Amino acid sequence: MTQTRRLSALSIFGLICLIAIVVLASLLLWAPPDGKERAQLMQFFGRLHPLAVHLPIALVLLVPVIEIVGRNRRFAYLRSSSTFVLGLATLSAILAAGLGWSLARSGGYSGSIVVQHMWSGFLVVFGVWLCWAWRASTDVPVHKLYAVGLAVTAGAVCFAGYRGGQLTQGVNHLTEFMPAPLAGLLGVSNPLDAPANSPYGGRGTFYGAHIQPIFAQHCVTCHGRNKHKGNLRLDSFEAVMRGGKHGAAIKAGDAKSSEILRRVTLPSSDRDFMPPERSPLSPADVRLIEAWVTSGASGTAPAETVLNNVAMGDLKAPVEVSFPDVDPVSVEKQRASLEPVVAKLQQQLPNVVEYQSRGTSDLAVNAGWLKSQFGDSQLAALSPVAEHIVSADFSGTSITDRSANGIGAMKRLRALRLMHTRITDSGVQALASLSELETLNLFDTPVTPTSLAVLARLPGLKHIYVGQTKIPAGGPLPDTIKQKLVF
Amino acid sequence: MKNFDLANPLHPERQLSRLQAQTRRHFLRSVSGGLGMMFLGTMAAPLLGMAADDSNAYTKPLDLARDPKHPLSVLPPQFAARAKRVIYLHMAGAPSQLELFEYKPQLVKLDGQDCPASLLAGKRFAFITGVPKLMGPQYPFHQTGDSGHWISDRLPHLEKHLDELCFIKSMRTDQFNHAPAQLLVQTGNPRLGYPSLGSWVVYGLGTENQNLPGFIVLISGGNMPDGGKQLWGTGFLPSVYQGVQCRSHGEPVLYLDSPPDVNVSKRRNMLDAIDELNQQNYAAFGNPETVTRIAQYEMSFRMQMDATDAMDIHKEPESVRTKYGSKVGESSFANNCLVARRLAERGVRFIQLYHWGWDSHGSNAGDSLNVGFVKRCLEVDQPIAALLSDLRERGMIEDTLIVWGGEFGRTSMRENRSGQVTKYTGRDHNPGAFTIWMAGGGVKPGFTHGETDDLGYEVAKDPVEIRDLHATILYLLGFDHHKLNYPFQGLDQKLTSVKPARVVGEILA
Repeated sequence: MTQTRRLSALSIFGLICLIAIVVLASLLLWAPPDGKERAQLMQFFGRLHPLAVHLPIALVLLVPVIEIVGRNRRFAYLRSSSTFVLGLATLSAILAAGLGWSLARSGGYSGSIVVQHMWSGFLVVFGVWLCWAWRASTDVPVHKLYAVGLAVTAGAVCFAGYRGGQLTQGVNHLTEFMPAPLAGLLGVSNPLDAPANSPYGGRGTFYGAHIQPIFAQHCVTCHGRNKHKGNLRLDSFEAVMRGGKHGAAIKAGDAKSSEILRRVTLPSSDRDFMPPERSPLSPADVRLIEAWVTSGASGTAPAETVLNNVAMGDLKAPVEVSFPDVDPVSVEKQRASLEPVVAKLQQQLPNVVEYQSRGTSDLAVNAGWLKSQFGDSQLAALSPVAEHIVSADFSGTSITDRSANGIGAMKRLRALRLMHTRITDSGVQALASLSELETLNLFDTPVTPTSLAVLARLPGLKHIYVGQTKIPAGGPLPDTIKQKLVF
Repeated sequence: MKNFDLANPLHPERQLSRLQAQTRRHFLRSVSGGLGMMFLGTMAAPLLGMAADDSNAYTKPLDLARDPKHPLSVLPPQFAARAKRVIYLHMAGAPSQLELFEYKPQLVKLDGQDCPASLLAGKRFAFITGVPKLMGPQYPFHQTGDSGHWISDRLPHLEKHLDELCFIKSMRTDQFNHAPAQLLVQTGNPRLGYPSLGSWVVYGLGTENQNLPGFIVLISGGNMPDGGKQLWGTGFLPSVYQGVQCRSHGEPVLYLDSPPDVNVSKRRNMLDAIDELNQQNYAAFGNPETVTRIAQYEMSFRMQMDATDAMDIHKEPESVRTKYGSKVGESSFANNCLVARRLAERGVRFIQLYHWGWDSHGSNAGDSLNVGFVKRCLEVDQPIAALLSDLRERGMIEDTLIVWGGEFGRTSMRENRSGQVTKYTGRDHNPGAFTIWMAGGGVKPGFTHGETDDLGYEVAKDPVEIRDLHATILYLLGFDHHKLNYPFQGLDQKLTSVKPARVVGEILA
């Protein structure tokens, strides 16, 4: 009596699984993957398929191990768990297959690989159910049919897994890094080569030689035969010209209106940027695509004609600006010796001395706003930090030539402003030591052309502002210095 | 009761006034001392995986702490800056780029034809109705200078400086009316309550001259810009960083000078007394606004001398005043430009000039391309050219950034308000594309970035959003726009707001 009751519990389980398998089969038959992208919820659940599928894989492959090892007398206890493992494998396989259907139906998949993966996966589900049914219903150790069925199911797992790997990793995920001898032995070749009988995109054409490899490297993983986001494929010339969900990807002859070029030259933070989550195409690649499009986007034009006809350099990748990194610890170390002196100066002369930026220990001095309150004695107070000053503005202050030596001591000065001061030619003589000076402002000072001799010897000087001085605008001036003067 | 001494703390009136001084703020503050808060403060932070200082490393703000008595003291920029000060010339009303800098031969060809439906589909217009007609440029264009820029005949003086300008022709915005668009350009957000560009700059850098405000605004053209005073307001930043609107003739700031019988020492005494009262208040409540208020009074005292001197264009020789076209005693853009140059020389960090009246709808003489626009161009052409040449002469062009622009562009179609055609020509608002130019510190002279389509209606290449412009300006001043932020309402607010902004690297010299 107990035996029949136990059997009927098993039968219920078996029947439920069979019903689920039938439902799955009808889904696969009447709602197969057709390349369209569908509802967000289906995609969400479908993406759990790669996670869920690992359990049935492991369990199905475990069963043959149990059966074979269990033939040894010492491991005979293993055989008693086969039924349970098979039952668990059935349940998890059904669940994984259901999720897989959801993913295939909603994720834009189509083509032979996904169909083969689908049906071999279904074969696994059905096979493992059959094996469970056999195993559960008899106590005879091994039935020949059962062994064959188990072998077929395990084989189906391997095949389905291989196809699944091709879907996620790319068609040649196993062959890409295969050692050459093995590849030669197996006769493996790159499946992305265009078929020999296509009239377009052959090796000798510009498209086949230059453009197709770019697409193959950066685009085809998401826009290829098995996965085509936005219904766009870029794995053959015909497909590129056909375009996708948003219309034509390429407008022959017009690089500016071509959607592909627009998207690959966007900043990487833009939503429409292609390829997403990856580094942008190199400028050379972009120029190649642009040249190809501008010259008519032909699939048959030989490589040389395109490169000769096109004026390149119109489209540029955007110039990305990065903000300099400031390490506060190293900056503090740089400033360590300077800090007490600078702090004292900032107390004495508030808002006059400040670091040039937060990332450096160079100083910038701006005494202009103090006007006549800043004079020679105040400038003398700057001498302890003279070597660190890179920019100084003494415009409108009451300094005289006596401060010239103090300024001359600021050897690293790059910009010096002496507008509206009483510095004369003799003061300018002391500036001869400022070898790094790039811009000098002598606007409205009493300097004369005598100063120019000294200034001509300063190697880094780019601009000298001499408006409203005694230096005549139109007069005879040494050529070396003429172009640097600004009146 | 009559025996109670007022000094006795138990006196009911004293108790009552002390109770009334306990505001809701005090209650909430004392609540935070409870056991629950102590737990959260110690345990919750590690629980949630946050460090004690939990600001996002990406937006970790710069340390902009200052002595509250000197809120405008100089601070170094984050990294080496190309520009030290900004002069922003805002043409309020939106100047027509198609009559100034954008030459569109296709538009010339299609002048007078009906506008194609594709340009009208899905757009909101301020005043255009039905099917308007395309309108070609109303003034002749020509190319000039080494850079080969196109310019109309309306700006003959500025033409001579064309090779120093860096144009961005692909600016675009999403606001099609004046006030929100101006707020977007000046504060980074089309709604009220956000700090303006000048406020952020002065907050981050302080100002060089402590005797003048760091952010000064000058208005001309006869009217305030539509965005109002919030365009130079300080939003949620401390109020000391707001723009100070000065007048270019008469008293720079109304009532800045002491009344007739109050001399300097009396004023000083008064200020000292107010200072002491404010210090007591600060000791009791600790509101930093109090201290900055003290600083503002001190600033206004110092300004009495320096501001009047800076704004006084009498002090400039006649030749300079003629160069600008400015007249003493008038309030004009020319005067404002001359004052701007003087302020720049005196170390003011951010000088903003607004010139009203560019809203060339064509609805009346003042707002038309054939009458009002001509006058506006005359008003700004000479002064801007003079400003550029003066700054170059004084070597200040190297570290002064000058920005010129409006808040949006104008349509390629003629405006047909209520379907009528008047003798005044005009264009409606076009947020899809407009032109600005920059000159000076750190931008490439003689360069154009971005392109619009053949009709000048929408951006075709390299669109630049307003926040990108802000990011670029802050970059030239030495700031990463993410790091110059201020925590407010639970967010590290920044000028470029929440959408990603990029620095327009193509225009950097």
